[in-house]
Amino acid sequence: MGGPVMHDIRSAESVRHWFERAGHHDAPPEVQEHRLTVLAEFCRHFGRDPDELVAYCFLRKRDTGQRFCSVKRREEINRALDAFAAEQGWTGKEAVVNANIVRSHLIHNGVPIQGSVWTGS
Amino acid sequence: MEFKKVVGDRRTIRYYDPSRPVEPEKVQVMLEAANRSSRAVNADFVKAVVCFRDELSEDVRQRLKTPTTTVQLDLAPVVIFWYGDLTFASGAQQRLKELVDLGALPVTHGWSHAYVDDVAYAQVVEPMSKDQLASTWAVSVECGLAIAQAMLAGVDEGLGVGLHAFESTAAKEVLGIPDHWLPMWILLVGYPAEDPKGGGQRPRRSLADNFYEGRYGQPWQEIPEVTERLRREGMIQEPMDAERRLAEVRELADRFGLPT
Repeated sequence: MGGPVMHDIRSAESVRHWFERAGHHDAPPEVQEHRLTVLAEFCRHFGRDPDELVAYCFLRKRDTGQRFCSVKRREEINRALDAFAAEQGWTGKEAVVNANIVRSHLIHNGVPIQGSVWTGS
Repeated sequence: MEFKKVVGDRRTIRYYDPSRPVEPEKVQVMLEAANRSSRAVNADFVKAVVCFRDELSEDVRQRLKTPTTTVQLDLAPVVIFWYGDLTFASGAQQRLKELVDLGALPVTHGWSHAYVDDVAYAQVVEPMSKDQLASTWAVSVECGLAIAQAMLAGVDEGLGVGLHAFESTAAKEVLGIPDHWLPMWILLVGYPAEDPKGGGQRPRRSLADNFYEGRYGQPWQEIPEVTERLRREGMIQEPMDAERRLAEVRELADRFGLPT
């Protein structure tokens, strides 16, 4: 998890939009850095940068060309997030919270996606 | 609870206490409320399958989830899957004649067994049941009436409720739903983890925007005394306070590890 990546990721359009809409600029610097780090690491894991990750969730209908948010792609991202959390060694609430950082980035960029919930067990 | 307050208190609850189960007795109250709803031809349009979350296998729970329903299904202890029965015309003649015999469909209004056979059934109910658009309309409206009563009964029992769309293909398979049942909504039921008042009533337009007197274009004129009485009696309540609600959402997100 390196500085240059953090710099790059912060300048991505989808990340700027995410921080602006979610008000993350107001969070303490270490919290901001943690969010960016988690997203950057997941992007590495998934092989796409943040903007590409958002774009990946959308497809176009073959007949009309209309853009839509793919259920299958979102399910794929949810599976990738589970694998990523396991790979990172996260368990319990930490796994839920960190995976939802990535989902927050997607949500604020127009991708309705829900995943894990921490219910205390 | 007083009826007007039940109507005023209802919100779409989005955060349920996952560890507080819902008593089956309260679910039965909701089902009976649905069963008592107004219904054309006294037909059983509405059908429901009640699922207690903790009694579903992990596999079934996973199959019912979609990328937009996961949180709700994980948090709500009870999910009621509502369907409409497209075979509503079956037995309609006998049910109508029963109502004639009981005087619910009175002779003073022209009802008779012959009218049921020759007109009400033959010319209205049966053709409607064979017209896809008309039968879908009828089933949907009738189910809406029943579901609304179930929701309000849930609120009256101190529960939180919320209607949502659902993945009907997976539900059909895992719940064994027959082909002639039309999917309507899922009703999530549980004790709210959020403020049961959901931070205040959702914005609504004035009566004059949607309701008319005599003819379209002549808005219903509100009677201020009635509006004031409904405020006192709890049907009309304080509107949402965005700042307070967003603070609550942040707290709930923190509790459940959800995105913000």
